[in-house]
Amino acid sequence: MNRNRKVSRRFVLRGLGGAAVALPVLESLAPKGATAGGTSTPPFAIFLRQANGAAVAQNTKVGNEPERFWPASTGALTPDSLQGRALDELTDFRDNLLVVGNVNMENYNFADGHARGAFQCLTAQPAAVPGAGGSSEAGGESLDHRIGAELNADGRESMFLYAGSAGGWLGGACISHRGSANRRAPLHDPVLAYQQMMGIDSDQFATLIARQRSINDLVKSEMDTLLGRPELSTQDRMRLELHQQSIRDLENGLSCDLSKDQEAALDGLAAGHASNNGDEVLAAVRAHMDVAALAVACGYTRSVAIQVGNGNDGSTRYRNLETGEEMENFHFLSHRRLSHGGDGEIISDSDVLHHYVDRQFAMAFRHLLERLSEYVMPDGQTLLDAGLSCWFNDLGSGPGHSFRNLPNIIAGSAGGFLRQGEFIQLGGDGTNHARFLNTLGSAAGLRDANGDLISDFGDPAQDRTPLPEMMA
Amino acid sequence: MLAAPGCYSGFDAEANGGGPGGSAGTDSSGDGSDGDGSDGDGSDSDDPGGPSGAELPAPAARVARLTHTQWENTVQDLLYLDAPTGFSDAFRADPSNAGYLFDNSAAALEVDQALWGGYQRAAVDTAQLAVTTPAILEAILPVDGGDDAARADAFVRDFGLRAFRRPLEESEVSTYTGLFTGAAELFDDTEGFDAGVRLVIETMLQSPHFLYRIERSTEVEDDVIALDDYEVAQRLSYFVLNSMPDDELFDVAAEGTLRQPDVLEDQARRLLADPRAKEVVESFHDAIFDTESILGAAPLPAVYPDAPDNLGELAYDEFHTFIDRVMVDEKGGVHELFNSNVTYANADLAALYGVDGVSGEEFERIELDPSERRGVLTQIGFLAANATGAQPDPIHRGAFISERLTCSELPPPPDDIPPIPSVEGLTNRQAIEELTEQPGSNCAGCHSVFINPLGFPFENYDSTGALRTMDEGLPVDTATTVILDNESHEISGALELADLLAASPSVHACYAKHWVEYASGRPEVEQDHALVERLATASLDGNASMEDTLVEIIKSTPFTYRSATELEAE
Repeated sequence: MNRNRKVSRRFVLRGLGGAAVALPVLESLAPKGATAGGTSTPPFAIFLRQANGAAVAQNTKVGNEPERFWPASTGALTPDSLQGRALDELTDFRDNLLVVGNVNMENYNFADGHARGAFQCLTAQPAAVPGAGGSSEAGGESLDHRIGAELNADGRESMFLYAGSAGGWLGGACISHRGSANRRAPLHDPVLAYQQMMGIDSDQFATLIARQRSINDLVKSEMDTLLGRPELSTQDRMRLELHQQSIRDLENGLSCDLSKDQEAALDGLAAGHASNNGDEVLAAVRAHMDVAALAVACGYTRSVAIQVGNGNDGSTRYRNLETGEEMENFHFLSHRRLSHGGDGEIISDSDVLHHYVDRQFAMAFRHLLERLSEYVMPDGQTLLDAGLSCWFNDLGSGPGHSFRNLPNIIAGSAGGFLRQGEFIQLGGDGTNHARFLNTLGSAAGLRDANGDLISDFGDPAQDRTPLPEMMA
Repeated sequence: MLAAPGCYSGFDAEANGGGPGGSAGTDSSGDGSDGDGSDGDGSDSDDPGGPSGAELPAPAARVARLTHTQWENTVQDLLYLDAPTGFSDAFRADPSNAGYLFDNSAAALEVDQALWGGYQRAAVDTAQLAVTTPAILEAILPVDGGDDAARADAFVRDFGLRAFRRPLEESEVSTYTGLFTGAAELFDDTEGFDAGVRLVIETMLQSPHFLYRIERSTEVEDDVIALDDYEVAQRLSYFVLNSMPDDELFDVAAEGTLRQPDVLEDQARRLLADPRAKEVVESFHDAIFDTESILGAAPLPAVYPDAPDNLGELAYDEFHTFIDRVMVDEKGGVHELFNSNVTYANADLAALYGVDGVSGEEFERIELDPSERRGVLTQIGFLAANATGAQPDPIHRGAFISERLTCSELPPPPDDIPPIPSVEGLTNRQAIEELTEQPGSNCAGCHSVFINPLGFPFENYDSTGALRTMDEGLPVDTATTVILDNESHEISGALELADLLAASPSVHACYAKHWVEYASGRPEVEQDHALVERLATASLDGNASMEDTLVEIIKSTPFTYRSATELEAE
């Protein structure tokens, strides 16, 4: 074991209280980069990733499972069409939703369904090294990263947030990538995510900012000298340049402060961010969502990715909504067996238990939508409608590890770009996931060199044109 | 690593150069990201690895960021603290690096905005801690002789040497002493000379020269670059202690004698005797043996009502104690790892081992019955970690041995694994065979030859690691045929497998390969093979201890030189 560490939060949160985070209308926090007329808020994207597929209609070892996820019918979302499905947790937001069915990934050779889903879900790329299974890496940049790099001030990277136990299948956090085989480190503790956005503790702010400026000048000079050394390899240079960019980004950071009470509440929610307890993990997810909402509200970023659980969310034990007790870990439930593989005893009613997990993700997603709705921007829009929030699953279903009909629930029109209030089924049975991501990227504001919607994200071998079916 | 070639398509060891146990130190996959891509046999004159058999350095990063543990240890040592500050707890975690077991991948450790913010805050807190703690100031400051300028100069030179792990250049001394001017205006709560000290510490801890282990030597001689004494000291201390050099090592580096083999060996053995070296050895074996999964061992109370609630934690502690005592204190090696009958147990673990006379929570040294147990693979940690709640898990036991201990690469399982047949009336082994060894099936190629034979010998140990003789009312069957080092071996069970592993060239090579990777901060590349083979031979035939293996790595050419290839690559 490494040396004992005591957790130090002393420079983070000194506030007392514990009132629920209740964010006011923040007129002063208009995002940067508003259009010249100042009448619209630039769009953004927040991604929420769930693992292990949804409890959909399928035949498994527990029998013929009824549909418990998708709306009962395409077309307008209504209380009736959502009734009894996990999505009925979002009924109050049905007019802000676009539920997209029949999104199909490509069956790339990852030699593992979870790797195929997790590494492809935001990249639309094949594996960096085919057939590597649990040792896979993604084959390209993820959409959240591209949005950040192209649309954030000074190319600041997207905010990548993670909740759930560290490590595990696929190495834990695995959906955000700078490029092929270059995965990003997430912010695990929501408090740390908040700190990063703030830049520095507000109590220390005045003198520290002045001091840091002079320190940065010295450090940047050292970095320049170091980067000037001809013997550095390309790899060394890339790492140092990222460091140099990070210094600049933080220098240019905004101060997006919560009140002390809000900080304390955030700290409370964040405490279980590395837990295996589903309630604690989802509390941390809500805290991440609070930070994400603040981050897009104050213009810190236009792109956030939130990952819940590792590659197969193989250790989180969510709550049984009927009994209130902890269930088996989610991966077991999704397999319908007491096993991470094909062996193990069948878990009775595991289809229902899986549905309970879906439902709890829907509740967590609702928290994000509620939070975003509380921000009213200078143009009168709520933040919810200014951007898009996409709750997705990187598998279509649990036992089959299907790469077809992936759950994708989008909230917000991204400033009128996306259709709303509907359940649509995309046509055909081929791969359209790259088209789907190009649509979301375009909705978030990405444009090609001609100012047109992007159609260049993901595997060039796939059709990447945006999907008109999703557009308003 | 070399993939076990027979998987899914029938095994042909002869044609494919061997399955598990035929790989470490001999493959040419060279997937290290800084390798040169050569797939030759080592005799190619263009190969920077040089003539066949030569131990020469592979291209390596020149700037390797400190791991978070290294940051924490370094700050502790920099300030002469008895305990870590804990400030690195707030750093964002580094991402996983698929295919590499350790946390020190030089190619993957980056400074993004989140970490830069963390470094800033930690630097602020560290500097504040230093100037508000008289004992720290006494330790790091020169005696006050009344001349603040001279004192600032001496402090910057001494602290800078230790922070940057090399003497400062005169321009750097000038820059950092210049921070003393006006420093007091930048703090609300620190004045005078201390303000300068605080600003210097705060700045140096954000300097790339502190945050990265940098190697600046560039002089090429005989196609390699000799590291200077400070760079060797840095490599040595971060390899053995996961921290900066101590004062004695700096002194030796300053004398310019550290590159002498006898001096280097003396320093290496001195540092290996430091208690902090145990943390490194533990951390290394944590990665190899995936001790996180030992912690997660959870036999079902319904099946094992007598198993302690905290079995995983106890087994984790047992494993660490075993490594500390047997591998470090008693200078064990690969033979002891697989053959030792010693372990450490409290009353709960002793009961599972069937050993009497141990009481209470304290761990005691016990000797296990040699007819029942032998080495680390028959300890509770490995057995309980690779088990389901109810039954042993021979698939994961076998795959672990194949991948981690023989360094053979198994292809991942197919995606949609068919359900296991009903286990009623079948032993665990029979059920696994039914599932995975159907002739002609996709599974059989790997499972029947490579995976299951390495797992079935442990079928007489249940999910708690306790011995069992019966399963589902039938006798357990532990006999298998194992393919190791390209030969088939019929064995009766785990004890014979332990003997086989302890005598296997590929197992010794695999263990050495892991250490070379750890020392290098990157996956194995072709240039490592000669060193790995020498270490493996010394371990197998000469019964070299783990300590001897580490010392030989430290004294080797790849450790004390850089490759010149990188310079040409730009």
